[in-house]
Amino acid sequence: MKKFMLIVLTVLLCNIAFAQTKVTGKVTSSADGSPIPFASVVVKGTMMGVATLENGNYTLDNVPANATLIFSSIGFVDQEIAIGGRAVVNCALAPDSEALDEVMIVAYGTAKKGTYTGAASVVKQDAIKDMPSVSFEQALGGKVAGMQVTTTSGQAGSSSAIRIRGIGSMNASNEPLYVIDGVPVISGDSGQMGDYLYTTNNVMASLNPSDIASITVLKDAAASALYGSRAANGVILVNTKRGIEGKPTVSFKASVGITPSWATDNYETASVQENVNMLYMVFHDYRTSNGRTEADANAYALRQLNSKWNQFGYDFTTNGTGLYDNVNIKGRTDGVENHDGIYFNWDDAYFRTAVYQTYDVSVSGGTDKTNYYTSLSYTKDQGRVYVNEFDRISGRVNVSQKVGKAIEFTTNVAVSSTDKSGYNDTRSTTGNYFMQTRNLLWPVYWPTDYKTGDPWTARYASLAQNMLYYNDYWDNSSKTLKLSVSETLGIKFTDWLNLRSIFSYDDTRVRDHVYYSAEHFNGSSVNGSVTEMSTNDTKLVSSTTLNFNKEFGKSNVSALVGFEAERNNTDFMRASGEDLPVSALQTVATAGTLDANAYYWGNSMVSILSRAEYNYDNKYYASASYRRDGSSRLGDTSRWGNFWSVAGSWRISNEEFMKSQDVISNLRLRASYGVNGTLPSSNYGWRSLAGYSYKYMESPGGALINAADSNLSWETSYTSNVALEFGLFDNRLTGTVEYFNRDSKDLLQDVPISYITGFSSTLQNVGEINNHGVEIEIGGDIIKTSKFRWSASVNASFLKSTVTKLYDGQDIIWTDPTGGDARAYYIYREGESTLAFWGREWAGVDSKNGANIWYSNNDNADYTIDGRNVVYDFNDADETIIGNANPIAFGGINTDVEWNGISLGLNFNYKIGGDLMDGASRDVADDGYYWNRIRSAYYYNNMWTETNTSGTQPKIRGTDLEDSIERSSRHLWNASYLRLKTITLAYKIPTNVVKKVGLSGARVYFNGGNLLTFSKYKIADPEVNEYGTRGWETPIGKTYTFGIELNF
Amino acid sequence: MNINMKKINIILAFVCILAFTSCSEFLNVEPSNQADSSTSIQSAADAEVMINGLMRKLTSSSYLGRDFLLYGDAKGGDLTIFTAGFGGNDLYYFSHSQTSNARSGFWSVGYNCLLQANNIIANINALKAAGTTEDLDDFLGQALTVRAMIHFDLVRLYGKPYNMEKGSYGVPVVTAPVDAKARLLRNTVEEVYTQVVADLQAAAPLLPNGVNDGYINYYANQALLSRVYLYMENYSGALAAAQNVINSGKYSLYTPSKWVASWASQFGSESIFELGVYVNEADLGTSSPGCYLRRKGHGSSSINGNFMASQYWLKIMGANDVRWGVMDWDQATDDAGNYNHKGACYKYSGSINLAGDGKGSSTAVNIKVIRLSEVYLIAAEAALQTGNKAQAATYLNAISQRDPDVAAYTSSTVSVDAILLERRKELFCEGQLFHDMCRLNKTITFDDDYFGNGTTSPYRELTIDRTFYRCRLPICQDEINANPDIAAQQNPGY
Repeated sequence: MKKFMLIVLTVLLCNIAFAQTKVTGKVTSSADGSPIPFASVVVKGTMMGVATLENGNYTLDNVPANATLIFSSIGFVDQEIAIGGRAVVNCALAPDSEALDEVMIVAYGTAKKGTYTGAASVVKQDAIKDMPSVSFEQALGGKVAGMQVTTTSGQAGSSSAIRIRGIGSMNASNEPLYVIDGVPVISGDSGQMGDYLYTTNNVMASLNPSDIASITVLKDAAASALYGSRAANGVILVNTKRGIEGKPTVSFKASVGITPSWATDNYETASVQENVNMLYMVFHDYRTSNGRTEADANAYALRQLNSKWNQFGYDFTTNGTGLYDNVNIKGRTDGVENHDGIYFNWDDAYFRTAVYQTYDVSVSGGTDKTNYYTSLSYTKDQGRVYVNEFDRISGRVNVSQKVGKAIEFTTNVAVSSTDKSGYNDTRSTTGNYFMQTRNLLWPVYWPTDYKTGDPWTARYASLAQNMLYYNDYWDNSSKTLKLSVSETLGIKFTDWLNLRSIFSYDDTRVRDHVYYSAEHFNGSSVNGSVTEMSTNDTKLVSSTTLNFNKEFGKSNVSALVGFEAERNNTDFMRASGEDLPVSALQTVATAGTLDANAYYWGNSMVSILSRAEYNYDNKYYASASYRRDGSSRLGDTSRWGNFWSVAGSWRISNEEFMKSQDVISNLRLRASYGVNGTLPSSNYGWRSLAGYSYKYMESPGGALINAADSNLSWETSYTSNVALEFGLFDNRLTGTVEYFNRDSKDLLQDVPISYITGFSSTLQNVGEINNHGVEIEIGGDIIKTSKFRWSASVNASFLKSTVTKLYDGQDIIWTDPTGGDARAYYIYREGESTLAFWGREWAGVDSKNGANIWYSNNDNADYTIDGRNVVYDFNDADETIIGNANPIAFGGINTDVEWNGISLGLNFNYKIGGDLMDGASRDVADDGYYWNRIRSAYYYNNMWTETNTSGTQPKIRGTDLEDSIERSSRHLWNASYLRLKTITLAYKIPTNVVKKVGLSGARVYFNGGNLLTFSKYKIADPEVNEYGTRGWETPIGKTYTFGIELNF
Repeated sequence: MNINMKKINIILAFVCILAFTSCSEFLNVEPSNQADSSTSIQSAADAEVMINGLMRKLTSSSYLGRDFLLYGDAKGGDLTIFTAGFGGNDLYYFSHSQTSNARSGFWSVGYNCLLQANNIIANINALKAAGTTEDLDDFLGQALTVRAMIHFDLVRLYGKPYNMEKGSYGVPVVTAPVDAKARLLRNTVEEVYTQVVADLQAAAPLLPNGVNDGYINYYANQALLSRVYLYMENYSGALAAAQNVINSGKYSLYTPSKWVASWASQFGSESIFELGVYVNEADLGTSSPGCYLRRKGHGSSSINGNFMASQYWLKIMGANDVRWGVMDWDQATDDAGNYNHKGACYKYSGSINLAGDGKGSSTAVNIKVIRLSEVYLIAAEAALQTGNKAQAATYLNAISQRDPDVAAYTSSTVSVDAILLERRKELFCEGQLFHDMCRLNKTITFDDDYFGNGTTSPYRELTIDRTFYRCRLPICQDEINANPDIAAQQNPGY
């Protein structure tokens, strides 16, 4: 419709200068002869053109008789036909098998999807552009088969974890390699704030998602082996936008989002009354179980309650003396505030409706010699919890200039500045506001003294602090300035030989600032403290490749050889001061006591690489690659590693015997095998070192810091991949079924050693892991008419990830590295999952007495259930494998409906099977011991009592039954869920309307994030981190975003 | 032509950038703040740096920096706790198990420090064997003494008292850096003590006599030796070593009027071995021993009031004892909200006004590992046990006079119990009590009634003695995982 109007307008405006002849004709589909309405017919080299009518007919007046017409329509291949003096020019357009001929960015070049021999998936700008996420990774979830994206924290600016085809390393990284515009880049958390606050600062958030043209995810060895030693976890290629030849396009985008609530329940607390009653029970039970009378226990419990909360203006009484007596809560009247019947709402005090806003301006265009894309963007994001903010200002200039016919220079320059402030995101009683509201801040605690109205500054008995007061006495920020410059030189020596050389420099500077005033509980003992940290990551990459590509009859041969060198360096500087004279000045310069630290570290790598590809008659394809890497992270004896791949594919549908049928429009089989690797995370892990961070009495001090293996080597992955790609009914329905097997060997393992050696572990190449699985992607147009289109796609990944070999066959017990609170134990055991939860096996609650019972998994037995030994004391039970965090399947479901410029898109993420370990549940469902904590409604509602003997949660006790430090299957849940990750409703305003206000295009949209979640696990968000655990991270919220996009 | 020249220049420029360095040099990236361990000790100056590192490691919170001090008094019955759930209360509850609250920090930090000491010893011996002309004796002597001290502390934590069952399991003895794959097993208590004595004796002639603040000199070595001999009931040896220190004249007891102020300064006249805890070094801040022993909220709202004196300790203290000067109210109050329990110890805060010991911080306070008062008490006990009661009384009176109301001990009143009583008063919160109680086979009664707050432990009785299995720490699960044969040597009961 838009096109039609445009063409009509164009025709009307066109100056009819050389009227000569009139041409008519009909445009049809070559597939079935059906007419194509609204196809465009343009006279080549002019602005003249029309659109076809409903019946496919067109009429063009005053066309030069020797002109050429260009016929085009969405979904068909453009065709040019010379008029040659004819009055009737009919055209049969061939359906565009777009999916097959789509050009995608791959390792060191581009490839057509239909001919590529590796396993790769492409995500386009359209799929991520409406998401209100500051970083593109968060928008990738559910979009690529085999890729799991988890965002552990709902903090603004926090980093995500990506796992492509499972877990292939125990000690080194499991994160993919990120390559932006051909250059490997740093990713993940940056800066040093983690030394002070548990928080992350995602360096990828410096990249404006609107600048991204497409993302390619390389999954198998054939696709990724060219990246050698860093590719075992897959590669994410990000390709930024380039200008397109034609008039300059100015585009403006703005969106505003709000997050007024969490996406799910999050450990909703029991009511004040219920919690006070539970605490009363704890004290009461404590006394009676020590042999005291009920009256004594009652008096004791009331004394405890009163001693805690008289000072907040409450009095507690009971009518009787029994365990289950209701506690009457009365307000005291001897102060300036009367709290009778009212409680403080800490949720309202600590949480807010967060606002997200982003504004983008971009200008792009080009001529046949030059093309350019420039953008400027500003984004501001807030966390729902106070203090947490993120903002970014970023600019980009991508320019390509041809010099002569053979040389092209491309310069990409990106600058961005981000600023993040946060707070503790781990299990911290003083610093985690979310945890405080759910577990520590009784609503009978007030931020002001009821007697005087002054701010409450003492620590509450539950160990929480009044952050409403203390928020004014501390400050933190992580400012990141990132500059990336890359210069690409392309030389086309001949049609079949060209050279591409990239030189890139990336400089990321993070400035972290942490300040505690002398008033703050963290600063009081030193009279205030301030720390400034500067972390400067620089990365130099130089890569040169020579490409050869030539047709020999029906054969096409291409080859690539190259050289790459890379140097990474991190400079670190920290200055801190204590004893601050004036609270208004937060600078180290004013401090009475100073401390400083500065050093640097880094690594470098040199590589040679090569690839050869062969294609015969577009039916048979073969490819091979080889790369040799040398890295400074390894010692002389094992420094160099070889990585390679071979692959082949067969386009069955291009065979003669397939031509006779018309159901299968595309059928292709491909297979690959290859080897790639992973480097140790540590720069100097192979060296036995003495460190000097042991200053003593203001003199330098040194100590041995590790037990190193000087032969430390690469981790190596051996991956095979077989896939069948198909397209049915003129590619209306397309899909891929893919099987892969990845054997990761020589895995680095922190082999536990006897403490008596002085250390607890040593790093060695010993482990082996196998990942294998099936990925299915199916998509298609369910309905496709000229006005209405409904398409849908589903992807599913079935993955099995197993530890196959360990040092000496010995189990390794390890803890979840995320969250900083060791919330889950896992075991690496040969033959078991890579994420096997380890702990005691909870058998539920004894309905006779409400006590926890445990499967002993040994000979200890208080009694048996279904022939299994159970015990009351968890110390009598053995630890065992209690669950598996790896799901059976995960993926996404995406559907789009388009009608008359209105489109509705729904993206679902899902996970089937697997367990999640809820670390926070240990805090909120404790059955005793931590007396000053509040408990969740789910515990209260399911708690065993004499009147509710079917309760699934243990009886509340005054003695410590299940030590809350222990990890057990009591806090293990089924991790399956289905989430409507985003819903996007957009309207493209008709061109004739926008034209009137001087625009060439306009679009408005609404995006809803995390609006619906279905899961068995109800107490908190089922979307958990890459280790299948949840702790006290900020939950994610429901977001409602409204946006507008204008093109001039 | 012009364009061609331009092309060539461009290509040349790129090639130059590419070839910026040679491969092997490019791939050799050295750390900037660490050195290869094999070359870390080449000279006396290097050895001194490593000695500094060793001393610093001793101040770890898991060892002498905090936990070892709390362990001795919380388990010895002179401390109690206010409520459950705060740091270190496992020491009071005895809630240790192989898998949780195993206090494995003593084990891991202890053996890491032993490695550092052994590394120094091995490197110095190698330099000596290679004919170095530098004088390295001081450092060798210090490392040997520290090695002895750690073995002695570990055997007190993990083994039975020497006079209880010296053939039972002590701890593994390490006298050289061992390979990463080594899996050493426990030596007997007696074997450990033999090594401890041998190391102390070997170190003694190497060490200088001058006072060396923050480090070990000859007298620190002798003071530690007298302590070790006391545990071995080698009373004549203990007395001789103690008298070596006392009679040297290098150290002098604080007079009663100076005693309180001594906690507000570093390296006093009694400090024989005192570890320096400095700001920006080993300062544990609100996790320091000073903060664990203070009144809740005093100096920072992060201070929890973890430990306070038991009623039994408060009762042994005379009203006019000068040592009340480092005690203040803890958080307990009467019904009217007034403080009523003077159980907070401020030895590690400098003073009850948080003066610190002169470094501008109330938490960076030095640790007095052994001081002259203890040597007097050792001398008193050793003299008593060797039959010299008058001498015993003299040594004891030098300490007991800090309470002006205590009558001077005489040959007829001096006794092991009297010495123990004076030990409890003088060495309160200095980490020795529990080991003394085990050594002397005394019954320990815990103050579970403090504030009626319900501190009864499900892990022990109200009173215990050294036969209770939890008087020994368990070998932790991590050690057993990596060193499976040691499982058979686990302390019985765990």
